[in-house]
Amino acid sequence: MTEDRQLVSRALKGDRKAFEMIVRKYEQPLTSYLGRMTGEREAALDFAQEVFLKAYCSLASYRPAFKFSTWLFKIASNHLIDHWRKKKLPTVSIDQPVNDEDGGLMPQVPDPAPSVVRKFELAEIRAKIERALESVPAALRELFVLRHVNEFSYEEIAEIKSLPVGTVKNRVFQAKELLRKRMEGS
Amino acid sequence: MTACPRPESLYLYLEGELGPYDARKLEEHVECCAACRDALAERRLLHEAFTSLPPFEVPEDFARSVMDSLPEPEVRKAAWRAPLAAAAAALAVGLAGFYLFSGLSVFEVLLAVNRFFGTLVAQATPLAARTLKLGSVLLKVAGDLVALGFAGLGTFSRILGPQGIALVIGLGALLTLLAVFGARRFLHQGEQS
Repeated sequence: MTEDRQLVSRALKGDRKAFEMIVRKYEQPLTSYLGRMTGEREAALDFAQEVFLKAYCSLASYRPAFKFSTWLFKIASNHLIDHWRKKKLPTVSIDQPVNDEDGGLMPQVPDPAPSVVRKFELAEIRAKIERALESVPAALRELFVLRHVNEFSYEEIAEIKSLPVGTVKNRVFQAKELLRKRMEGS
Repeated sequence: MTACPRPESLYLYLEGELGPYDARKLEEHVECCAACRDALAERRLLHEAFTSLPPFEVPEDFARSVMDSLPEPEVRKAAWRAPLAAAAAALAVGLAGFYLFSGLSVFEVLLAVNRFFGTLVAQATPLAARTLKLGSVLLKVAGDLVALGFAGLGTFSRILGPQGIALVIGLGALLTLLAVFGARRFLHQGEQS
């Protein structure tokens, strides 16, 4: 965190090498996030480049009181929202619960049915998750990716998305249960 | 046996996000509930997969291409540099011009410049001394005037006595109040009209 602040401070003084170090540090987490949101590697790389450009141009507005990673991912998240708005892609309201085809997503007690996922090896499960993830609504998928791929805390995600922590926890849970149900159906 | 936990609690437990009391309660329940034990085992496997999804590969030259796309930074230069550089350039041009048009050697040009600055300093020094002397005389006169004012005030207060001083202060305060409030009323009337 301190290292990021120092790099930002140096970049603001015109040290391009410092910004390159920031790019090298965040290129993979950012592309992993954008890749899972767009579903295409090439698009993810283009988006990542645009996000870094935006971050560079607004570096002076970064407040060291906050983590640099949450600031950068906030830019990335807003960039995606702008892109979807321009493309007029359907978005899911944050306030509405998301249901799958079977109806209710949140059973009050754990499902006692025999496990399906145990049939698969971990690698197979991962491949299935990646495929199922594409069908999860973007609003849920984004929070899931930030939590489990980028390993942000719930509080950090709440900061990135300007949402209450409870809402973030609930939506990450919804994404996971939706994934589980989609995997059962596959 | 306690009620079965919500599935959300199972995930939070696996993430270490459940408080110690709730975590203990869940563990106790799972020990005696086969359905929840199976549900937890299934979510554990899923959780393991969620947290080990592979990162996207990034090309080697990605950072380089990002850096190439960035605009040049606008570094603010020190404010004193430009005037200093302009003065140095003007001096250099002046010296070069003098050297070219006068037909003198470089040594003679430098000697002439040195002589010029020497004359300038020699003429400016007595002028600065005279200005300083005049300033000190003016300061002395101002000091004498202030001392005279204080002496006059002392004599005046002795003549008036304590009652007289109180009367003068009272009158002064009254006049000040009248001046302030009178001016305000005047301004207020002006706004209304």
